[in-house]
Amino acid sequence: METFGLLLDGIFTSLQWFNLGLLIFGCLVGLFVGAMPGLGSVNGVAILIPITFIVPPTAAIIFLAAVYYGAMYGGAISSVMLGIPGASTAVATVFDGRPLAQKGDAITALSAAAVGSFVGGTVSVILFTLFAPPLAEVALAFNAPETFALMVMAFATFVGLGGDDIPKTVFSILIGLLLSTIGLDLISGKPRLILFGMPGFLHGINFLVLAIGIYGIGEMLWTLESTKGKVQMAKMEVNMNEIGKAFKKLKSTLMAMSIGSFLGFFVGILPAAGATPASLMSYGITKQLSKNSKEFGTGVPAGVVAPECANNSASTGSMLPMLTLGIPGSPTTAILLGGMILWGLTPGPLLFTQEPEFVWGLIGSLYIANFFTLVLNIALIPAFLMVLRIPFAILAPVIFVLCVTGGYAPTQSLHDVWLMLIFGFVGYVLRKLDYPVAPAVLSIVLGPLAENALRQTLILSDGSMGIFFDFGEKPIAASIMYIALVFLLMPLAGPIKRKFFKAKSA
Amino acid sequence: MSNISSKFTVKIAEIVVAVLLAMCSIALMIKSAENRIDWTAETNMGAGFLPFYLSAGMLVCTLITIGKFILKKSPQSKDDNPFIQVGAERYIYLTVISLCFLVLATAYIGIYISLIFFLAFYLKFFSNKSNIFIGLFAYETPILTFLFFEWLLKIPLPQGYSEPLFYPVYDFMYSESSLVEKIIYIIIILFLPPALGLLSKRFIK
Repeated sequence: METFGLLLDGIFTSLQWFNLGLLIFGCLVGLFVGAMPGLGSVNGVAILIPITFIVPPTAAIIFLAAVYYGAMYGGAISSVMLGIPGASTAVATVFDGRPLAQKGDAITALSAAAVGSFVGGTVSVILFTLFAPPLAEVALAFNAPETFALMVMAFATFVGLGGDDIPKTVFSILIGLLLSTIGLDLISGKPRLILFGMPGFLHGINFLVLAIGIYGIGEMLWTLESTKGKVQMAKMEVNMNEIGKAFKKLKSTLMAMSIGSFLGFFVGILPAAGATPASLMSYGITKQLSKNSKEFGTGVPAGVVAPECANNSASTGSMLPMLTLGIPGSPTTAILLGGMILWGLTPGPLLFTQEPEFVWGLIGSLYIANFFTLVLNIALIPAFLMVLRIPFAILAPVIFVLCVTGGYAPTQSLHDVWLMLIFGFVGYVLRKLDYPVAPAVLSIVLGPLAENALRQTLILSDGSMGIFFDFGEKPIAASIMYIALVFLLMPLAGPIKRKFFKAKSA
Repeated sequence: MSNISSKFTVKIAEIVVAVLLAMCSIALMIKSAENRIDWTAETNMGAGFLPFYLSAGMLVCTLITIGKFILKKSPQSKDDNPFIQVGAERYIYLTVISLCFLVLATAYIGIYISLIFFLAFYLKFFSNKSNIFIGLFAYETPILTFLFFEWLLKIPLPQGYSEPLFYPVYDFMYSESSLVEKIIYIIIILFLPPALGLLSKRFIK
């Protein structure tokens, strides 16, 4: 009951005209930043932190949290409309969002992204309100072995993301992992795979370089070839009736929403995990468990809802360890944590008792920000669809400009822009030969996290891999590992079953 | 060009790419072996261990793909269609070449000047828009890119030898002029040259 009263206070705090104005402005800025390829919530929050020094801490955190939320929603816009993930959290949204838009059903894709984000955000903020302190303790039980087991589970779901050609899917996963090892070794600090002695490889390969290359340049080459430069987009009418129809299609996505919301929140609260692994895992698991798993990748609403639900849920989840323990769950919350210290607050268990207005103002604002971002997203659908009405001959060079600037901005190195071009061309060739490219992008994102966790664990266990399967020593890690094995074997079960029945009928 | 492309079928591409990937995997294994690739309880994992075995895994996958090709078990091994659709080659080649020139020119004359040439070339070749439209589009896009990255986000994009051209702009950006003055400056830069261009065209007519 006390929690409910505090929450109401928080909601009223965030509804004060000044805070509400900042919240709506933050949502709009976040939507824009999130939609720009190469920029994400981290950039938005980092750039805007200095602005918050002129307002009280509660208003500041409400504004920055709204930017964070808006960016999570915004990432889906460029994924759907341009086929370029706005941020790593929106990589999985491209898989089905872009095909839906190409089929002339961008309204469904955008509605699925907005509703999925809203449901994920709302479920997670309810979980946050009710279970913040006990969940923080669960998060602390996740150390390197558990994190590695979780990553293995993510990779196991990726096998299901590929086509029927398992060697090509595994190749794609391995090349993504290999690219993630380029740069300085985590433990010894030795340079690894510095190809042709180029110093640009010393800082590794940013996942965005691969993602923009494959989904920006590669996708455009694919479109240019298949349409010979004469892209005809289906005519779309945008009115409440059409949006209502799109909403009706989302009835079939309840499972995706549940998986995305709960898995996203849980992965989000784990330190060093965050929204990107959450959205990728959510997509993979939803696909594996769906009755129509073969249709994923061709444009199904559940393929948009699952990652969008998870990334929003995880973004709320990642605030939990930040507020309760002072441990950031994602790069963006690390910047928010820095902001809190600059505003004179001490993140940690005492924050809830010492600064209730701040904490509950933030939690209350998450409910309000969710609602406003949903309204803004739905209201702006006609504006987003205008992008598709731009003639392809004009849209194509604009996308190329966005790719080049987006590839340059994160590391400010032309070396990365060249790599992006190479990845784009190679991705186009491989895609034409039925090599699935999505697992490579997913692996380069999760590779560094997985390697870090693996090597820390091996140092702990004196080099023994048995620690991952020992229920006595690491029950959580062992349970996740065995679940991962089931996921890994699931794609093989189909062909074996088919062969068995074929032999029986023969 | 079209004749060469039609001879380069999906079947040929499948085996050529698989062999190239196998060779790359071997090269990466050799490169990884420059670091320690063993793994013992005492010394733990060498820096080259993971890259070496990941490359080895890639090699195994490509060998399976080659095996499937030889046994004609993969759909690509029986596909005699051209790898790139006939008639689409020039779009692909021109796009790839123009993008390479864009990045190459960016290193020397900077991104903003390169963008003008890239956009003008691309629109001239791929669209049927008028020269005035192409000129306006090629002029305005780099300016908007500059304003967004350099002014709003404070992320400098490469300028190469054209950097001195931007010094007066930076002086004004970071001067103590009011926001209104800065906005007027942006409007003049965005709209004055196109307006002058349009006027002079009319005058010349």
